[in-house]
Amino acid sequence: MNLAYFVAPLAVSGISAALAALISITDRIVNNYGEVTIDVNSGSKKLEVNGGANLLVTLAESGIFVPSACGGRGSCGECKVKVNSDVGPHLPTEIPYLDKDQIQNNVRLSCQVKLKTDIGIEIPEYLFKIKQYTGTVERIRDVTHDIKEVYFKLDDGQTVDFRAGQYGQIEVPPYDKVKDRTQRAYSMSSVPSDTNHVEFLVRLVPGGIVTTYVHDRLKEGEKMKVIAPFGEFYVRETDATMICVAGGSGMAPFKSIFYDFIEKDKMKDRDIWYFFGARTKKDLFYLDELEKMQNEHERFHFVAALSEPQPEDEWEGETGLITEVLGRYLKEEISQEKPKEGYLCGSPGMLDACMAVMREHGMTEDKIYFDKFA
Amino acid sequence: MKMSPEYSKAQANMQPGVITADGFLGDDKRPIVDIIADDEATMETLGVSFDEAVARMRHLMEEGRKGLEEPVTVDGNWIVRVSEARGFLPSPFEDGIFRKVNAQVELMQNGTPTGESVLYSELGMHLLEKYHFMQGVGAAFRMDPERLKRVLQL
Repeated sequence: MNLAYFVAPLAVSGISAALAALISITDRIVNNYGEVTIDVNSGSKKLEVNGGANLLVTLAESGIFVPSACGGRGSCGECKVKVNSDVGPHLPTEIPYLDKDQIQNNVRLSCQVKLKTDIGIEIPEYLFKIKQYTGTVERIRDVTHDIKEVYFKLDDGQTVDFRAGQYGQIEVPPYDKVKDRTQRAYSMSSVPSDTNHVEFLVRLVPGGIVTTYVHDRLKEGEKMKVIAPFGEFYVRETDATMICVAGGSGMAPFKSIFYDFIEKDKMKDRDIWYFFGARTKKDLFYLDELEKMQNEHERFHFVAALSEPQPEDEWEGETGLITEVLGRYLKEEISQEKPKEGYLCGSPGMLDACMAVMREHGMTEDKIYFDKFA
Repeated sequence: MKMSPEYSKAQANMQPGVITADGFLGDDKRPIVDIIADDEATMETLGVSFDEAVARMRHLMEEGRKGLEEPVTVDGNWIVRVSEARGFLPSPFEDGIFRKVNAQVELMQNGTPTGESVLYSELGMHLLEKYHFMQGVGAAFRMDPERLKRVLQL
């Protein structure tokens, strides 16, 4: 028997194993940054952590959740923190998301900053309130052909403390070709007093990773991770007329806000106009609930508008794009005398269009509130 | 076909988890220059130019955006829904960043939706226009030439 038949494969395997070991050892030496300290808000918190990972992930592992709509992929520009130490120049991946002042003040995308040495950062105090929850999907309900209402029960007596209008991040596991866990942001539609549940409205986005998972795979009884609460979208305590505009799953924060108002007996305190746009009647939902709300609360006005009502819809309500209907009402129906606040939930394009209409009718940008994510 | 360093880098950037979670190649194992060459040949056989396709796609996306996330009927022939998420995606060829805007275009016949649709993004239009890259077979945003011709009525 020719020994070369055995020796050659063994030699190749041996060399491969030696190279793999060398790479592994080199990786441990080169990428071992040891323990580093993160000084948060000038001594407010000091975190001793292992270096090597990015700042966003490391903070999350220490229980500090910086908002990130893309889950740390450097494509949403949400996870900004001010860094007080030298962590090297801004990366090309960060520049598009930062303005001149932010670059000058060393604001960084935390998902793009690799922790190599001790670092000082500044973040808003409210981020300390954000927690990661585990929950079980208690109920999934189709509210339209492409929107699901997903109701989670938080595990083990956990409770969530949020303001109506804020959002949370859902994390879904890898599936099909999606190799990593993926997070996306959705407004919470549950009422804050329901502290051991959170509810989201998830509209199917063609090609969307998380929405596809929720629509095609998520089952009642499944465990999920939810990180919450995030965002600056909540009702300001004034007596100004509220002009609320949404479409699709943008309904979520308003459902939470209106039921919170009803619970706290605030519906009588100010005028509320809620404009909801859809294409056809099959895209409308919660109609009965909202009409009941309107009948029971004199100062609450619900205006649904269809942009392309079908003959079978037998629609007698408002027609046109929601921005057109909003413009008509601001001009003809809503009191010009009282101060107004705008509350918007939708895509960046929808927000821009609504803000333009509101500005046209004398509303100022500092009184228009939204979280600009989809 | 031989890959230039620029195309090799782009192919690496197209893998799942680099720019988007599921990448640009689907189940396609071919070098991107071969994907491009094959699709160019198919487009030529179909008599469709890339410029013509991109112009139609851009028109439909612009009209669809007016629906503010709701589907809209465009030119009586298509139902277009444009979805927009916060942020940008870099091109795998490292030649620009693009808003995360997707258009789903469904063909109508005699005023009724046919169920046949194409899905594309702002970045996808750029890749099509500049590189004739229609994405790998099995990719979520693959623009199959025959389907593109049928749905966009080219």
